Amino acid sequence: MTPAGHDGLVSGLLVVEDDDRIRLSLQMALEDEGYDVTAVATAEQALVVQRATPSETVLVDLMLPGMDGFDCIRELREGSDVAIVVVSARDDTSDIVRALEAGADDYVVKPVAVPELTARLRALRRRSHPVLTPPQTLVFGDLEVAPDHGEVRLDGVDVALTRTEFRLLGELATANGRVLSRAQLLKSVWDYDYGDERVVDVHIGRLRRKVEHDHADPQHVLTVRGFGYKLR
Amino acid sequence: MITPRLPRLGLRARVTVLFSAGALAVSVALASATYGVTRSNLVEEREQSAVRAASFDAAVVGQGLTAEDADLNEVLRAVDTGQGRQPLIRQGGEFFGRGADPNLTTAVPPALLALVEGGQSAAQRVEVDGDVRLVVGVPLPDVAVTYFEVGSLDDLDDTLRSLGTTLLLVSALTTLAGLGLGLWAGQRLLRPLTSVSTAAEAIIAGDLSARLHDTTDPDLQPITVSFNTMVDQLSVRLERDRRFAADVSHELRSPLQTLMAASSVLVRRTGEMEPRTAAAAELIAEEVARFTELVQDLLELARDEAPLTRRPTDVPALLTDLSRDVVRPGGLDLHAAPPSWPLDRKRVERLVSNLLDNARRHGGGATRLAAWSERDRLVIEVDDEGPGVPVEERLLVFDRFGRGRAASARGGSDGTGLGLSLVQQHSVAHGGTVTVIDRPGGGARFRVELPSGSP
Repeated sequence: MTPAGHDGLVSGLLVVEDDDRIRLSLQMALEDEGYDVTAVATAEQALVVQRATPSETVLVDLMLPGMDGFDCIRELREGSDVAIVVVSARDDTSDIVRALEAGADDYVVKPVAVPELTARLRALRRRSHPVLTPPQTLVFGDLEVAPDHGEVRLDGVDVALTRTEFRLLGELATANGRVLSRAQLLKSVWDYDYGDERVVDVHIGRLRRKVEHDHADPQHVLTVRGFGYKLR
Repeated sequence: MITPRLPRLGLRARVTVLFSAGALAVSVALASATYGVTRSNLVEEREQSAVRAASFDAAVVGQGLTAEDADLNEVLRAVDTGQGRQPLIRQGGEFFGRGADPNLTTAVPPALLALVEGGQSAAQRVEVDGDVRLVVGVPLPDVAVTYFEVGSLDDLDDTLRSLGTTLLLVSALTTLAGLGLGLWAGQRLLRPLTSVSTAAEAIIAGDLSARLHDTTDPDLQPITVSFNTMVDQLSVRLERDRRFAADVSHELRSPLQTLMAASSVLVRRTGEMEPRTAAAAELIAEEVARFTELVQDLLELARDEAPLTRRPTDVPALLTDLSRDVVRPGGLDLHAAPPSWPLDRKRVERLVSNLLDNARRHGGGATRLAAWSERDRLVIEVDDEGPGVPVEERLLVFDRFGRGRAASARGGSDGTGLGLSLVQQHSVAHGGTVTVIDRPGGGARFRVELPSGSP
């Protein structure tokens, strides 16, 4: 059995799913893939478990009894850069955008094949451990990005980014002012050959809230209409 | 022969025309009546005063002529007729006047002459050289003459002419006012219809909250109420359909997730199973995968009301990504592809990957994927080297579950039978088409044409 973790390490995975059959089958299938899976049925349980023994990645269903998936994502995201993947049967645009805005890193629609799901998880892990060259601090006016140190400063003050946000900023920062298309960013950050470009747009929005003085009037992360984004 | 037809006028134009025509008719009628009555009154009054004056003058003449040594010319001169009237005395079949105006005597019509000579006072209007004149005759039997006065009616004519002009002007102004009123009324009349069409357009554009404003107008209330009720019911029904589709989608996706994950656990362990069990596990996994695809295609087909969101899309990059490992090496022909085209990227991704999938399943793999722009259309072609599609099945293949005979002949266990109808659906959503022809040298050639959508 191939361990899914980096450097042969088995990584922790928390599955939040209220449907018993899905929860059990996903747990078995992901354990087969080498993940150390904890599975719970409610958002409340998930928050308790995650607080006690944090997993590196959380798979969240949206429709949960009690606290729903969106609130669960928000709570998990609070002060944490845990990788969050939504696995939901809902494929409405509004749900996808809402979940990403709540703080999810990725969104997959059920039914998802196990190889595809593990590919998504690997992409997330890859972006959790960014290896970027050259090691230096890139300066964009009042914004400083040190890709290799995982540091971002606005006006000299540290900015807390999630790993996905950081990886997105890193891609734009190392592009030397070139415009990167949504498809390129989807490929380099999320490892999608093709997929939903709204994932990029929502993350850009989240990024702007953190690295812009006024996110409605961005000075650094610029939209190039019809092409994509660039960092200035 | 074609009879030329006037374009049918709109409601507003008709109301305007009706109002103007009405105003014109009323003002013309009023003006004619006014003119007629005024004219006859004026003329009558004028005639009466002329007759009165002539009678008075005749009395003066009669008195003058009774004198012993009466001179006709003296008497004529003595008559004070003012500027407008000219006296004539007829004695012994001859006219005597003040001047030598020959026209004056011809102004007296023979009929009038006969009547007056017969001993009767009379008056008649005559036209001389375009001038209207009034001739009044008074017999003076005591002195054996007849007395005539020829008066001009020119000043009356002037008065009547200026009255006519004024009335004409008033008519024109009234008609114009009618036109303005008609325009205003038409607009007023159409305002409720305009708001209905505005609301309907908003609803078509997807805003189901659009309603007509409540009105107290008893004529408009029924249409407002029924329109709003109709939209209420429509949105309730749409919402119910949407929720049903979402529920179906959810209820189908959830068990499939279990099946997929569980079958992957099974397939992982086929090595530990006895051959029959392993074969059964493989079958289950394959069918689960196929069934999943079918459900996803069906849900995609059912949810087609999603609006098209065109964005400038990097066509070469998109097709290069999609063709990776699927199109025969060297088969990608993008040398004339436009760098950017307004497309709904998700739909076109599905469209192209379904075509490539179709080539893989039924045509031995795609041998060529080409794209170029022709006028305002983006053309995408996918070639394969399978058996091709017989002419009689070329429309059928795009039907739902309408797999051609060639496919059924292969056992029909491959694909969902929905791939090509999805291709068609996504093409049509772009306002485009998909067709299949023979590839020169054997095989099928699927050709998709997508207009840029700009007007």
